[in-house]
Amino acid sequence: MAVTHQTLPLQQVRPGMILSDVLLDAHGQVLLPQGAVLTENMLSLMPRHGIDMLPIQAPDLTPEEKAAQQDVHRVRLAHLFRKYDPDNPDDAATSILHSYVNSYRLGKGEPA
Amino acid sequence: MSVLKQPLTLDDIVARLDDLPSLPAVVMELLDSIDQEDVDISVLAKKVSYDQALTAKTLRLANSSQYGLQVKATTIQQAITYLGFQTTRSLITSAAITGCFPEGRCPGFDDKQFWRHSVATAACAKVLARQIRFNQDYAFTAGLLHNVGRLVLVSSFPEQYAQAIAWQAQHDCTLLEAERTVLGVDHVQAGVALAEHWNFSDTMRLAIGNYPHPETPGAGFLASLIHVANAIVCALDLAQRGDDMVPRVSLVAWQALGLSEETYLQLFRETELRYDEITAALLS
Repeated sequence: MAVTHQTLPLQQVRPGMILSDVLLDAHGQVLLPQGAVLTENMLSLMPRHGIDMLPIQAPDLTPEEKAAQQDVHRVRLAHLFRKYDPDNPDDAATSILHSYVNSYRLGKGEPA
Repeated sequence: MSVLKQPLTLDDIVARLDDLPSLPAVVMELLDSIDQEDVDISVLAKKVSYDQALTAKTLRLANSSQYGLQVKATTIQQAITYLGFQTTRSLITSAAITGCFPEGRCPGFDDKQFWRHSVATAACAKVLARQIRFNQDYAFTAGLLHNVGRLVLVSSFPEQYAQAIAWQAQHDCTLLEAERTVLGVDHVQAGVALAEHWNFSDTMRLAIGNYPHPETPGAGFLASLIHVANAIVCALDLAQRGDDMVPRVSLVAWQALGLSEETYLQLFRETELRYDEITAALLS
């Protein structure tokens, strides 16, 4: 399932909020895993790692809201990839990108 | 909407390059210094600091989390000490270029959207470069500048360019097709002309000139990298352009990067995060 997230500046992040994504430093090293519940202590260490924005899990959506959001993504992706032809061998790489972005936006195993 | 009665030529573009807003003198000096070994860095740092707006923007960028400074840089000299000359130079040029073109001169051309796309491509190119251990500064700058030719056309020929934009909307084609049909020249040619005029390095010029067709012999690896970054940014809808369209991805470029699905999914995420941050540093 694709995670719904919001990126918040450090000042707005409160202890108890949940990371929607793994937190990386500038060198791509993992600082905190996805789903970590942030504590005051962790937040006070962020400036040391040069972090001033955090990916925070959005409040849970109802199944209807989730479905609606998925639909918006699905329609938008279809529009962005409107010139792409899955049967054209020249579009082989476009096809791979299309499937990756689909999994990213809609979650794995969802029909494109 | 019609095509121009008298199409533009490359000579027309080159003839107008001198009328474009120029980069601050110190930025030109920085660009020139790329291949020099005996640059006096402290003198350059001092010259940059005379330009307060430029300094502020450069430091905002240097202190963003993508460079991971544990202590904030408060002067250009400090930024050079912490990040190195190469990186700082790429930050100064980025900061200078994003502020140097006048906005709102061409009907239908959305400057903000243009920069959102450029910044997103820079962010994505930098993350890609790190994955494959390519020079991240080159990738960032090339990503930021890959479409700079559009600004050249918009600034020098605003009415004509407005027609190209209208043509694209009407025919739902790529921008390159619209430009070639309506104007007779395209933003890639204009970008290369500017790159020569501004003394960009060969690597940068090749990337700007070849990113739409990275399979061209001699295109260079950076062209492949920018090609893929550009497509990813469109697919992720980062510029939020209503009629945006993912261009055909070159198989040659895709294979040249050779990254796995897992890497791409992680990279999409990181690009989105970095993008928010760099937008705040460069475009606010």
